[in-house]
Amino acid sequence: MHLAGLPLSTLLTLGAVVGTLIVGLYILKLRRRPVAVPFSRIWQQVLRDKEATSLFSQLKRLLSLLLQLALVALLLLALGDPRTKQNLVEGRNLVVLVDASASMKATDVEPTRLDVAKREVTRMIDGLGGSDRMLIAQMDASIRPLSTMTNEVADLKHALEQVTASDTRADFLRALSFALDSLRGLGKAEIVVVSDGALGDLGRINRQLDLSNVALSYVKVGKSSRNVAITEFSVRRYPLDKSRYEVMLELTNTNDKPVNTELTLLGDGNIVDVTQLSLKPNESLQRFYKDLAGASRTLEATIKMTDGKPDELPADNHVYALMPERRRARVLVVTEGNTYLEAALLLDEYLDVEVIAPQKYPPAEKFDVTIYDSVAPPHDARTGPALYLAPPAQGSPVEIGKPIDMFGFDTWDKKSPLLRWMELGDIQVAKGFTFKPDKEQKVVGASELGPIMVSGSRSGQRYVALSFDPRESDFVLRVGWPLFILNTVNAFVEEDSSYISSFKTGEVWRVPAPSTTDVATLTEPGGKRRAVPVKEGRAFYLGEHAGFYQLEAPDAPPIRFAANLSDMEESHIAPAANLEIGKKKAGSLGEFKVGVRREIWLYLLLAVIGVSLVEWLTYHRRWTV
Amino acid sequence: MGVLDLFKRAASPVSRRFSNRPPPAEELFDDEFQRKLEMLAMVSRKVFAGRMRAERRTKKKGSGVEFADHRNYTEGDDFRYVDWNIYQRFGKLLVRLYEEEEDLSIYLIVDCSSSMAFGDSKKFDHARRLCAALAYVGLANLDRVTIVGVSDGELVRMPPTRGKGRIFKVLNFLRDLEASGTTELAETLRMFVAQHKRRGLAVLISDLYDPAGFEGGINMLRFNKFEPFVLHIVDNREARPDLKGDVRIYDCETGDERELTVTAQMLEKISEAWRTYRESIERFCASRQVAYFAAPVDIPFEELVLQVFRRGGFLR
Repeated sequence: MHLAGLPLSTLLTLGAVVGTLIVGLYILKLRRRPVAVPFSRIWQQVLRDKEATSLFSQLKRLLSLLLQLALVALLLLALGDPRTKQNLVEGRNLVVLVDASASMKATDVEPTRLDVAKREVTRMIDGLGGSDRMLIAQMDASIRPLSTMTNEVADLKHALEQVTASDTRADFLRALSFALDSLRGLGKAEIVVVSDGALGDLGRINRQLDLSNVALSYVKVGKSSRNVAITEFSVRRYPLDKSRYEVMLELTNTNDKPVNTELTLLGDGNIVDVTQLSLKPNESLQRFYKDLAGASRTLEATIKMTDGKPDELPADNHVYALMPERRRARVLVVTEGNTYLEAALLLDEYLDVEVIAPQKYPPAEKFDVTIYDSVAPPHDARTGPALYLAPPAQGSPVEIGKPIDMFGFDTWDKKSPLLRWMELGDIQVAKGFTFKPDKEQKVVGASELGPIMVSGSRSGQRYVALSFDPRESDFVLRVGWPLFILNTVNAFVEEDSSYISSFKTGEVWRVPAPSTTDVATLTEPGGKRRAVPVKEGRAFYLGEHAGFYQLEAPDAPPIRFAANLSDMEESHIAPAANLEIGKKKAGSLGEFKVGVRREIWLYLLLAVIGVSLVEWLTYHRRWTV
Repeated sequence: MGVLDLFKRAASPVSRRFSNRPPPAEELFDDEFQRKLEMLAMVSRKVFAGRMRAERRTKKKGSGVEFADHRNYTEGDDFRYVDWNIYQRFGKLLVRLYEEEEDLSIYLIVDCSSSMAFGDSKKFDHARRLCAALAYVGLANLDRVTIVGVSDGELVRMPPTRGKGRIFKVLNFLRDLEASGTTELAETLRMFVAQHKRRGLAVLISDLYDPAGFEGGINMLRFNKFEPFVLHIVDNREARPDLKGDVRIYDCETGDERELTVTAQMLEKISEAWRTYRESIERFCASRQVAYFAAPVDIPFEELVLQVFRRGGFLR
């Protein structure tokens, strides 16, 4: 037996002091309250009877003192934290990664995989050794530590209660990195993964992380794989006819058996289409709904098994999409006359186009977008964002460079919303000039001779400048011309035609938001509201749940958008039998024994309570007084 | 009292030091009390009228007014008592003899030990009121009333007195009595009988808490031709004291201490012992034809006095 707590000399000193104190108090306790009686002879007979047992009474009094001294001895021993030799071995340091990804919502085990995982971790907590310490972390799209590295059972169980499943995939690489960081420098380090094994590309983890110094354990949760999922759901308006839209979705049967399913498409909660589908084992089936019309803003698709058996992962059976609200934009065109430009603007019926001659500029009314065709009059606040086509040096928002001819687009920003769905490599320009943008201005397209398409901001208003007259090129003859015009207008009026689809859970979303604010309020599908940061016209948020969201900013109409799981990996719910990262195979967990706490001090304290109870009983029963 | 005793007394709780403090003397014998005394005197005359006159007759022949007998004249006899009618009829000189009237001596012995003032001093007050009542009745009947306070083996004596008018002297004497010291009945009454040659009715008003035994005191009166009358002052609260838990009891007279833990069971035993002690007094008096009368403190004194009258032995 060894003392892991206070040393023996300290315990002896403490024992002497406290023992002396108790004996002193015991002697003081023996002083009784003096009470006068009129005639003590009457008491004598009774007192004689008492005297017959006085020796026994003294012994009983002594028993009271001995019980109190025993209490002190037990408490001091508990402070000493005595341990058996085998318990003096160094305790384990465990990081338990609880998988809270969407696949853990599967109901193939009662009630869900996550609940079973929690039960497993509870069993581990109950079986922690006296020197073992544990940290519990939730693993989904992010890694979320829920406790410190501790051996406090109550803290660990409280942390475990906070684990909730999300509609995201598990970021195992990040979780393992966190676990390794937490265990750095600690002895007997062990990572315990409680999961169904749907953990992504393990080969990549093997390449990036060194797991040689930690033990890895895997607790498998789940047993079957019966699941049909909507793995893709995309809705978009036709770029040139935004009153109509098309829907694309993909169904995947992750089961090894064929299934029959019923697909329902809903618009604003009303059924738009119902289709019976048969899927072969592990088949992915794509469906298109083309040329749909209607005023619906929300679109949803759901599936259900037609054989009456339940789908074991309901989380991927329902997808959501939201189409942006169409609103009319007022466009001012300042030109001497440009048929190609006016024709392109005619393609969008939601645009109110007004054409004026440069002499009539500035206008009396306010416009959402202004297009300057070969002119660059002084900027007016009422004209809004601007598109400059071949601006003259006088008034151009971008400094004009050298004139050039016979050039084209050699490089361009393929991610720019201005150039969406466009291929600029074939455009031939007869003549034009280059721009000399400063640091604040962004080059969107350039020839080898210099920048020819630049975007920027002036007086809080955005602009795009093209360094050549489109009529001096074959650009106006290509399909990309109206797309460019409409993309630019849409970008200026913050109506992104790509937005009609949905975000994917588990990723950081960049939701379009008013550029005039820094913080917006996001309402989640469950009704929970939280503040999210807004930067450069985008609100940033790591979405974890599928459904419809609403973003609200001051002095701006609310913005709604949708989010979906749409993750093939998470929909494959068949649990992995083993967890193998490179050559390292996760072992099974067999060291935890329920209810065994090998800490003797705990039992000593229990003994103290027991002895206190005996002392209390004997005192109140007048056995020891 | 030694230095240690002084220290003990100073260190003792407040309740212990002042618990025996008597009530103000003027409250003890107020106007109401005196009216009750007058009522008792009248009642006593009415109850015993005809057979119990105020005057007591003795077997002595003397100068009373009640004719008793004749005897032959001898030299030296007072001529005034010669029955000349007999001489005229029979020619013999006979002297008239008259029963000599003698007043009764009543000794009211009041126990003034500490135990009489135990608790709220109710026993001592009760004893003094009873003593005053009996004294008044005695005075009203022209008896010689002597009041003696006994405590600590010493006597405090009010000289014999007679006549109702002396009642205030009695009351003042009783007012000035203080309860302190121990009960030593045998020793004290031995002094009493030595000091009082004239025998008579000795009313012992006491709680009879004598560590040496109550028998010695009563026997002392009996053996010295006094007619003892025991008026036992009883406080039933002492049968079941309000005690609980660990205490150190001490005798209020002797200071004897004992440590004990008082339980309900023990209180039962105490109560039983108290009853046994009281019965032993009663039994002792009955077996020796000593008049005994228990006077509980919770019964008004006038009621008790009337009970005493009815029972007899005090007035004859």
